[in-house]
Amino acid sequence: MKRLVGISLYPIGLLLILVATLAFFKVPVRDGLGLLYSGAVGDRFAWSRMAVKSTPMLLTGLGMVVAWRGGIYNIGGEGQFIVGGIFGGTVARFAVFTSHPWSPWLATSGILVACVAGGAAWAWLAGWLYLRRGVEVVISTILLNFIALQFLGYCCSGPLQEKAKQVPLTDALPDEVMLPKLSRQMDAHFGVVLAIMAALLIYTYLFRTRAGFRVRLVGENPRMARANRIDAGRAKIQAMVVSGALCGLAGGIEYLGMSGQLGTGFSQQWGFLGIPVALLGGLHPLACILSASVFGALLAGAENLARYTPTGSTLVYVIQAVAVLGYVGIKAYRDRLPAVEA
Amino acid sequence: MATLIVDNVFKRFGGVAALEAVSVEFRSGEIHAVLGENGAGKSTLMNVMSGFVRPDRGTVLLNGTSIPLGIAFACKQMGIEMIHQHFTLTPAFSVEENLALARLDRLATTIDTKALAGKALAIAKSLEWEVDPSARTGQLPVGVQQRIEILKALSGEAEVLIFDEPTAVLSPSEVEDLFRVLRRLRDEGKCLILIAHKLSEVLGVADWVTVLRNGRVVATAPRDEVDSDKLAFWMVGQMPDRASRSDSKERVDGLTVRSLSIKGDRGEASVSNATFEIRQGEILGFGGVDGNGQVELAETLAQIRKHSSGAVLWCGRPFGSDLPRIGYVPQDRQTDGLALRMSIRDNMLVSALHRPSFWSGPLIRAKQVGAWVDSLIDRFSIKAESGSDLTGKLSGGNQQKVIVSRILDDEPGLLVVLNPGRGLDIKATEYVYDVLLAARDRGAAIALFSTDLDELYSLSDRVLFMLRGQLVDATGASAMLGG
Amino acid sequence: MEFISLLQYSAPVALAAIGEIVVQQSGVIDIGLEGSMLVGSYFGMLTCLATHNPWLGLGAAILAALLLTLLFGVFTVLLAADQVVVGTAVNLFAMGLTSALFRSKFGGTMQLISIPRLGAYHGIDLIMVGMLVSVPAVWYLMRRTAWGLAVRSCGEYPKSAEAAGFSVYKLRLQALAIGGLFAGLSGAYLSLVIAGSFAENMTAGRGFVAIAMVTFGRWKPHFAFLAALLVGFADSLQYRFQTYGWHVPFQLMIAMPYIVALAVLVLVGKGTAAPGALAQPYRMDK
Repeated sequence: MKRLVGISLYPIGLLLILVATLAFFKVPVRDGLGLLYSGAVGDRFAWSRMAVKSTPMLLTGLGMVVAWRGGIYNIGGEGQFIVGGIFGGTVARFAVFTSHPWSPWLATSGILVACVAGGAAWAWLAGWLYLRRGVEVVISTILLNFIALQFLGYCCSGPLQEKAKQVPLTDALPDEVMLPKLSRQMDAHFGVVLAIMAALLIYTYLFRTRAGFRVRLVGENPRMARANRIDAGRAKIQAMVVSGALCGLAGGIEYLGMSGQLGTGFSQQWGFLGIPVALLGGLHPLACILSASVFGALLAGAENLARYTPTGSTLVYVIQAVAVLGYVGIKAYRDRLPAVEA
Repeated sequence: MATLIVDNVFKRFGGVAALEAVSVEFRSGEIHAVLGENGAGKSTLMNVMSGFVRPDRGTVLLNGTSIPLGIAFACKQMGIEMIHQHFTLTPAFSVEENLALARLDRLATTIDTKALAGKALAIAKSLEWEVDPSARTGQLPVGVQQRIEILKALSGEAEVLIFDEPTAVLSPSEVEDLFRVLRRLRDEGKCLILIAHKLSEVLGVADWVTVLRNGRVVATAPRDEVDSDKLAFWMVGQMPDRASRSDSKERVDGLTVRSLSIKGDRGEASVSNATFEIRQGEILGFGGVDGNGQVELAETLAQIRKHSSGAVLWCGRPFGSDLPRIGYVPQDRQTDGLALRMSIRDNMLVSALHRPSFWSGPLIRAKQVGAWVDSLIDRFSIKAESGSDLTGKLSGGNQQKVIVSRILDDEPGLLVVLNPGRGLDIKATEYVYDVLLAARDRGAAIALFSTDLDELYSLSDRVLFMLRGQLVDATGASAMLGG
Repeated sequence: MEFISLLQYSAPVALAAIGEIVVQQSGVIDIGLEGSMLVGSYFGMLTCLATHNPWLGLGAAILAALLLTLLFGVFTVLLAADQVVVGTAVNLFAMGLTSALFRSKFGGTMQLISIPRLGAYHGIDLIMVGMLVSVPAVWYLMRRTAWGLAVRSCGEYPKSAEAAGFSVYKLRLQALAIGGLFAGLSGAYLSLVIAGSFAENMTAGRGFVAIAMVTFGRWKPHFAFLAALLVGFADSLQYRFQTYGWHVPFQLMIAMPYIVALAVLVLVGKGTAAPGALAQPYRMDK
């Protein structure tokens, strides 16, 4: 019961933040909420928009969940997302934009696998640097984000640039290689389903497998793991690789589901937006479906507010940030109280 | 001339009385040792005197003025300095910077670290200590770091110096030198308080001795009126009879350790040349004061720490991947034994990662594990609503039961146990002891490390003591305490 | 003249890095630096636009950055919350807030905002002079003053600072205030000196670059300053190569400082330069 009350505080808190933010930006609250609602879940097109916006956040959020559960502060989701895209784009070069293209189905899966591998490799690098050379993950992932971004820029105006060599973009993928749409008129694509499956899979991994158990244990108490002869380094690297793979998958799904081509604006902060999703999802994979949906709904709905304010998605960032600060603040304040020792 | 008077001080932690009606007088020009077993209240007493702990009742007077209880820095400014076992030195700083840091009285000023450290360095000179002011503090030997800590206190004109087990980290020659300096400071009129464990050292340097047991003052006496037997008796009460059980039982080969040497975390030699045997169905007790290599030896036996030389054998062969099954009950249950924010179930699962019946491929068989956890909770009468309760919410005794139950249910061939009864109430202690004895009778070889003599003697078949990484035979407890 | 434009180009990163050195030496890693710079840029521009006085703009920039940095401090120092989490949220907050305010104020018209810039003499402006002075000044502050010694002890081993009678909380907040001041200068430099305008997400990762340069510069103001110049130089090369018609992938030039920084970290390993207690929340036991 107490737990239920606790859980119900989240939506109430979120609603309060929402109302306050709307009021701050001088949007009539009732109308604003109505517009948000209709934009996010008002009709099936709105649902579809919401699902599409939630998908990359859910995946990068899951990535953060795994890494942070393992006690590693991976803030390199952005870089892993991008490198995933680059790997995918490279495969696309050979699988699609060639005289002998692969069959669409094979090309799509090949690109997706490459994206996952790319994200995983980029994260593995940070994990390896931490374990073998003691480079803090926070610093290395920041650096790797930049390197990835520049690398993407180079690829898009160099080896992967579109055929006409006019703009810094890759060739657009043909429709048959893109992920299948769930319905002809809507944006929602098969990636949405993949993301939800990933959430279930990660839940199973963390809470139902030996490997996931080791990751959680190492994150919770590395000393206890050591006392039980569990190799903390191995578990951390694994967490990092899985985390990067998820971010890479997010990149792949964005590439194959929405953008169809790569450019320097490929990642719209999706790597960073995973962090609030993971935190407000309580670092729980299934709860992340909910938190990603909420933020996806806000992003989708915010476009509807154009009549009152041109703020668009930026409003959502404010809401996310305030929600995280509120959540962290309350948690930290509680933790400060002395633990009950019997 | 300083006099520090502790007047009728009470302090409870949770439900446990750490100090009860403690009154002691410490005078200048004297070295006054405070003796007691672990948990006797020594640390609490000195923390009260130095302002780190606020007592529930009672006062502490310095030269007739009551000290600001519970405010460490104000106590320091009144001239009461404590030399902690864990130094408050910044490892990355030079010696000079550390000495200067202690002398800052305001922040908005430029400083000359050389000048600020000058006084302390002059004191060092007068004490015939060679100190390199530009050396990086963290790279200095522990004994030298302790000197810097003492210099920090002396340069602040401290009148009362409280030393927390200062010899625990020192080599014999360093101990000699420290005592030389203590005597000298006494002759200069300082009031010196020495929290100590080892009787021989206390008898060698102290002028007065106060013994604490279970939070109460047992006795205060001048050095001339006591000897080691008397002090040992005051500290631990009547020495329990040596346990002699299951001698009749036939014993099977178990653990053999030959000339084992182990390095500590900082690369120091923490155990040297240890040789012993524990047969199956035998408890070998390791006594001695904390920090003499027990944790390192225990971790090596539990295959967590690598040894630098020597051999650890099981039934004459090197340890295999599954033989013997090792159970390790660590010293500090909350940091090494449990993940406090995880459930009882998950905390128990740690010991069952290798059990085929709980896993199908990589996946857990939740039902079997759940039933197993429930059965352990039941059998070990752990007080919890269900297996999904967080271990952090359990009482200390139940936490220990979670650890012990998961380990013993695995039927380890070799069991390494550190201070199993520490912090537990009598009932929980009894229970844990019974379980350990049952494991012994089942045929486990048990290495029991304990600083509590009662615990050691009531459980062990044989007892060895650890002193500065060496194993010593003990003919009697007082010999050890005197050693 | 060439060198002055390089200085100008590098100033935002250099300023932020110099402030971040003070913060990190106190044991806090201000992941929210980017956000603090951004609010500095925005509110500096806004005030300047309203008052037509770039000096008031500068003041507003510093104030805004200071407030946001102290907000970060309240969470990470006083509440001992995780610095990475709070920093990320602060960045998101700043990006959302400035973009939303910018759009709701100017978005409808999409006019190009132009504001009076800070005065300069042959390209040398006062903030730039301040930056050049701050390199030795911060070194002096950290190495030759009582405050610097105490702050460094907070960053290395907070217990030692407390044993010397100083409040770790207070010292860390003070260090953060200095970091906030520099973040404000850095943000103001972008909008009031370089651009004379504001654009969404104007800092474009420079706060993160500054954090990287602190590591690259081994927590020393002069090294971090040189590292920032290196970034600026690599950045400026792209335009030069374009003018010469060379086909060197400029992105690789831009990435070079990060790659070098990473390589340095790999070679030095954990190293001894990093403050011992960096990014560890401190709780006084009571």
